[in-house]
Amino acid sequence: MLPSYLTMAAILFCIGLYGALAKRNAIIVLLSLELMLNAVNLNLVAFSKYGVVPALTGQIFSIFTITVAAAEAAVAVAILIALFRSRGTVDVEAFDRMRR
Amino acid sequence: MDTYTNIAWVIPLLPLAGFLVITALGRGFRAASVWVGSALSLASFVLSLLVLIERLKPNAVDYNNGFDWIRIGDYTLTIGFEVTNLTALMLVVVTLVGFLVNVYSAGYMKDDERITVFYGYVSLFSFSMLGLVLSDNMLSFYLFWELVGVCSFLLVGFWYARPAARAAAKKAFIVTRIGDAGLFLAILLLFWYMPEHSLSFTMIESVFDHQGGTITAGITTLIALLIFLGAVGKSGQFPLHVWLPDAMEGPTPISALIHAATMVAAGVFLVARTFDIFQASEAAMTTVAYVGAFTAIFAATIALAQNDMKRILAYSTISQLGFMMLALGLGSWTAGIFHLFTHAFFKALLFLGAGSVIHAVHTQNIQEMGGLGKSMRVTAWTFAIGALALSGIPPLSGFWSKDAILTVALEQNPLLFVVGLAAAFCTALYMTRLFVLVFLGKPKAAKASIAGAKESPAVMTAPLIALAALAVIAGFVETPWNGWFASWLSDEAGASHGSALAIVLSIAAGMLGIVSGWLLFGKRRERSGAGFAERMPGLVKLAENKYYIDEGYEAVFVKGLRGLGTALAAFDKYVIGGAVKLAGVCANAAGKLALRLQNGQVQTYSLAAVLGIVVIVIAIIGRRMLS
Amino acid sequence: MSFLQDIPILSILLLVPLLGFIVILCLPKHRAGWLKTAAVITTLIPLALSLWLYADYDNKHGGEGYDESAAWLQIPINKETATNADTEMVFSFQYALGLDGLSLPLLLLTGIVTAMAALAAFHVKKRWKAFFSWFLLLEFGMLGVFLARDVFLFFIFFEITLVATYFLIGIWGYYNKEKAANRFLIYNGLGSAIMLIAFVMLVNTAGFRIEETAAGAYQYIYSGSYADIAANMADPNAFVNLPAEATGGVNPFQMSDGMMWTVFILLLVAFGIKLPIFPFHTWMLKVHQEAPPSVVMIHSGVLLKMGAYGLIRFGLFLFPEQAREWAGVLAVLGVVNLLYGAILAFRQNEFKLVLAYSSISHMGIVLIGLAAFNEIGLQGAIFQLVSHGLISALLFLIVGSLYERTGTTELTELGGLARSMPFMSGVLLAAGLASLGLPGLSGFVGEFLSLLGLFESMRWVTAVAVLGIILTAVYVLRSVLKMTFGPQKETFAALKDARFIEALPMIVLLAFIVLLGCYPSALTDTVDFSVDGFMKLLLATRSGG
Repeated sequence: MLPSYLTMAAILFCIGLYGALAKRNAIIVLLSLELMLNAVNLNLVAFSKYGVVPALTGQIFSIFTITVAAAEAAVAVAILIALFRSRGTVDVEAFDRMRR
Repeated sequence: MDTYTNIAWVIPLLPLAGFLVITALGRGFRAASVWVGSALSLASFVLSLLVLIERLKPNAVDYNNGFDWIRIGDYTLTIGFEVTNLTALMLVVVTLVGFLVNVYSAGYMKDDERITVFYGYVSLFSFSMLGLVLSDNMLSFYLFWELVGVCSFLLVGFWYARPAARAAAKKAFIVTRIGDAGLFLAILLLFWYMPEHSLSFTMIESVFDHQGGTITAGITTLIALLIFLGAVGKSGQFPLHVWLPDAMEGPTPISALIHAATMVAAGVFLVARTFDIFQASEAAMTTVAYVGAFTAIFAATIALAQNDMKRILAYSTISQLGFMMLALGLGSWTAGIFHLFTHAFFKALLFLGAGSVIHAVHTQNIQEMGGLGKSMRVTAWTFAIGALALSGIPPLSGFWSKDAILTVALEQNPLLFVVGLAAAFCTALYMTRLFVLVFLGKPKAAKASIAGAKESPAVMTAPLIALAALAVIAGFVETPWNGWFASWLSDEAGASHGSALAIVLSIAAGMLGIVSGWLLFGKRRERSGAGFAERMPGLVKLAENKYYIDEGYEAVFVKGLRGLGTALAAFDKYVIGGAVKLAGVCANAAGKLALRLQNGQVQTYSLAAVLGIVVIVIAIIGRRMLS
Repeated sequence: MSFLQDIPILSILLLVPLLGFIVILCLPKHRAGWLKTAAVITTLIPLALSLWLYADYDNKHGGEGYDESAAWLQIPINKETATNADTEMVFSFQYALGLDGLSLPLLLLTGIVTAMAALAAFHVKKRWKAFFSWFLLLEFGMLGVFLARDVFLFFIFFEITLVATYFLIGIWGYYNKEKAANRFLIYNGLGSAIMLIAFVMLVNTAGFRIEETAAGAYQYIYSGSYADIAANMADPNAFVNLPAEATGGVNPFQMSDGMMWTVFILLLVAFGIKLPIFPFHTWMLKVHQEAPPSVVMIHSGVLLKMGAYGLIRFGLFLFPEQAREWAGVLAVLGVVNLLYGAILAFRQNEFKLVLAYSSISHMGIVLIGLAAFNEIGLQGAIFQLVSHGLISALLFLIVGSLYERTGTTELTELGGLARSMPFMSGVLLAAGLASLGLPGLSGFVGEFLSLLGLFESMRWVTAVAVLGIILTAVYVLRSVLKMTFGPQKETFAALKDARFIEALPMIVLLAFIVLLGCYPSALTDTVDFSVDGFMKLLLATRSGG
């Protein structure tokens, strides 16, 4: 069973990675990040059920991750809204002020 | 027993104390500085005299003592003092002239605002010179040798506001330093070649006394020549003579003390002190003799054409020092020292007399002077005595010592004898010219200061009279019939050998010089020397311009060094600085290149990170699979 | 040693400036007077302590009994590389201080120059608090460099001086201060990086030590301790006699010839930059030109000496064989430094640049002394370090005071200063004479001993070097006389001579210069023991190899 879960997680992660690296819309990037996080969660749960030493720790851990991800998403969206207000765009390529 | 000899080390310390006191008091205490300087120099003179009297006893034993200056492992460098007959004699000469100059300066420098500084420097000089005389080894000799050099430098540049004085001071220091570098190398050589790394004069004497010792002939010659280089620099021998005439920018009492009687004679003293090294090397002796003879005639001819009173005397000093070197090179160091001894008195006298004249008329150009004999009687008479002594007219002191040298020359090397005789003739000639133009006839320039010149105050004429007396009698310690001086000095039974031929020729040269001088310059007082100058304009011009030696040095060494400096400065700036800049530019370019990656896009950065992880993962997996 | 044996005197000496630094931080920033007083008092304490140490130092027994050490950092290492699985392996760095005849004079020099520089810091017109904080931190670093007996500790102190100097130049310097500070930091940072590489190599090879733990197991220690490194370098076979279970049957001290050479050359370059050795000297010119007077006093008086100190301590004492083989190279570099610096000093029209090139020239004499490889030369080199430290500090002190009055150090614009400022001109001339090696002043002794030492082995090189004493006279007199002698310039007629507070450090420095010149044994006797030890080491390696 484990390999299929891991494959599924890997596919999810890669999609997320692609989205995070390639998409211009900041919202999509954010969503892709969530996708990657969830891929990790899937792995955690899968290992805790079918791993070498099955334990509940992995599943509890994934709940933590979901919580943290939610908080992070909230903060990220807040930042994005602030950015959108000041710059008028959500295009990530416009956000390069750190360089100048 | 030898009470005073044992405390001879006090002699230099007295003027040192004087220097410290005068410096500490500062500029307010003008009279005090004069008194302190003179009193302490008198005290050191008295002490030196007492030492000399002790040395006059038959078979007086040399005395030396010292302390460790630096101890490094097994090596020890010492500083010490030694009293021999030679040093005792030098002590008296230095302190006597020093004392008289101190007294004289009270009048000469009376109106100078920095008279305290002057007395401080003179005291410091006396300390250094006495230390030099008393030194028992090459190292402490060198220390004091440099110190007298720097005192000379300070005093030449005493009137520092004059650009000429500044240039002269610098030149004096640097040119003598060239000689010092030679002496420095000689000390290094001696240190590593001498047994037990000893530098003491006693040891040098015993090592080099018998030929074929531990030190090879080549090295001996090298050491001797390097020492001689030092002496050449200090004693103004050709080709390092150029600083001495310029040094006349200093106050005249200084010219008398440092640049006539004491410091410039230190070179002769050095050669005499290390004479055993020279005797061990034929080549070195020949070099010394020929350099001395050449300098004697060379400087004398320049003196013929100069118009500055002090410069004439300076060239005369160079010429006389050449005589001393000639004597040393011919193997008779006692004759050299004898001439040093008499020369100290009459040349100091001449300089102080010149100072007296300059003090009165405020010019140094003899073409402007004339007729001063009437208004300045004491100066004129004492100057005449000095001039006659210098010209070698019997029975004044200069005759005896010059005759001693010429006698040796006649025995050893007729060529050098002829050169010496010619130099003696020139000496008489230029002294006659000087005397005639300054003291006889009428003033040439319409200057109030010349016409209304007054005799100098007693504080200046008294030293003149004292020196004149010495210039008359000092020669009698050694005559062709009485070799007391030489035998006392060298501890060898004196074989006094007069040569009638030498005496006759020497007197003849002197007389001839005076007569022709009188004919050339005395008769045509209105247009002095013009007849000679018209007949041989080229020669006179050559001598007047000092054979263009200064210009040659300027062109070769000064310009050369400056050019080298410019070249190296360019090298430093463009090659080395350029290399550094290039490194900077390269780093900058690399940075610019890397900056391309830093486009401010988070996505680019994370892409790079991902690629990095992929590479690492592949590497790890690849390694696993390979192993 | 005296009754104070149990007191960690070196640590106190070292920490006083740090304490002063904290005190300064607590003072209000606008009270310039308080800040300055605090700084001066703080610098006087290390001076007094180092003077006392100097007087107390026993010339016959070297620095025994002064060592202070405490464990500082212990970093365990991955066992994979260990030959024996049971052994523990650690990197160990210690807080170790020590004293010997080489560092003591330099310690005293630091004390003197820093105290005098603090007294002379009246030129600081802004941000006093920051200035004196950095200043004391700099002193802390310098004292640490000379006291440290652990390469890591040494490196840290070395870096502290770098950072402190960077800010002191960059904030309080003259017009191009930022550029000068940057150049200083980058060039010296490069040197430090090279030094660090060399030190890492040393720790991983020569710093090796085996210790038996209480449990009977063996601990392999890679230590930064100078004592360990020096012991291993001196006797590479120390481990052969240990039991086989300790060493794993092989000699664990492995330092190939190539490794030795690499480390030696790295050290030579690293410290050569600091010294500076031709052609690494260009960074120094700007620093001398732009740094504020009291900082450049320290820079030229002490910081340059750290390069020579490091070269002697690590280059010569640890690698006597390699250094000896390169004696000719060192000698030639020394002569090049000496003559090159002198000729270029002759060409400059800016007095500070004259002094900068003169420093290069005088450091050449240090190299010449080192290259001699005998007691005399080494003594000469160390003497020259101390002497040049005093002389250049004095010269820059005067330059600072002159600049404050005249607003320029261009030789062509100055002249006749002796008239309005006789005292300062006199001191300047005295310092110049000391610099050109006048007997009776300290410069001569260092020069004489160095050349005397080198003459034993390299006649011709020495003969060329002697030209340097002529050239030195030429450029020193040229520049000094141009400033003080000659006709007075109108603009400078009304200038005042030195105030008492300015004159005091000048007199103190000059007094030390005269003292060393007249009585050099005061220094050479102290150094003698350490130099003697080195000579024995040298003989041992020569007979052993």
